[in-house]
Amino acid sequence: MSEPQSALLLRKQLAELNKNPVEGFSAGLIDDNDIYRWEVLIIGPPDTLYEGGFFKCHLYFPKEYPLRPPKMKFVTEIWHPNIEKNGDVCISILHEPGDDKFGYEKASERWLPVHTVETILISVISMLADPNDESPANVDAAKEWRESYTEFKRKVARCVRKSQEQEEC
Amino acid sequence: MGNCFKRSTTDDISLLRGSDSVREPSSDPVGPPSYQEALSVQSSPPIYHPSPSLTQSATQLSEEEQIRIAKRIGLIQHLPTGKYDGSKKIRECVICMGDFMVGDALRYLPCMHTYHMTCIDGWLMRRLTCPSCIEPVDAALLTSYETN
Repeated sequence: MSEPQSALLLRKQLAELNKNPVEGFSAGLIDDNDIYRWEVLIIGPPDTLYEGGFFKCHLYFPKEYPLRPPKMKFVTEIWHPNIEKNGDVCISILHEPGDDKFGYEKASERWLPVHTVETILISVISMLADPNDESPANVDAAKEWRESYTEFKRKVARCVRKSQEQEEC
Repeated sequence: MGNCFKRSTTDDISLLRGSDSVREPSSDPVGPPSYQEALSVQSSPPIYHPSPSLTQSATQLSEEEQIRIAKRIGLIQHLPTGKYDGSKKIRECVICMGDFMVGDALRYLPCMHTYHMTCIDGWLMRRLTCPSCIEPVDAALLTSYETN
């Protein structure tokens, strides 16, 4: 039986990322036998509150990829307005266009089948540096980010420290 | 107006989009868009996506959804198709990241972006925008009707 297109495409991306790693993250599979579930280690981007942290994330691809987006979850604890407390990443490029009347409202921000692990990770890394507080997934983090930045920084610093300890063991 | 969506084999697609479009006889694999899931068994009813995240068999759809999907299939079929002959500058389908091979069935969008027909048709059934430039395909198609 031949492999579905989604598996071939993901295999291609994995091979490419192994051959030419991209700065800021490293990617592999959770289980070598399952191409649809990825484990990614994001290096906290320099000059941000997350600098120095190592954040493990999982990406779950549907069989219909690239027509449908993957889901992404931080496994390492992280405090960020656009990441739910359970780790689920809430970023518009991972959202399907939905059932709006014209089908292309805010099209540029929604999922497109040209997105790859690399482009998704680039968006997520840029989200770490620059939170979007218009539609927060973690309301408490968003409120702190706006109103009590010192407390926000303290919580992020704690996550960064914890992520470093986890990487050491 | 409804004419635009009519599934007619006598339509000369080349009127719509220059001379690079090819109309193949019906026996050719370059046929209607692959709105069915590739893996679906022929005897089971076709699978459609009334919204991008929904997957339903044709028998589960409301009449309204069926009409909408039929219109969309009609619209997709009005987009020109062709076969890769190795001469074009574009060599890769950005959806499957695969190189175009001579003889591959291609579809040309009004924005001039080109994809494998099987790759782009599956996407257009979910959303009518070009994945590369996000140009709404239906609006661009209507514009090209008006200017012709």
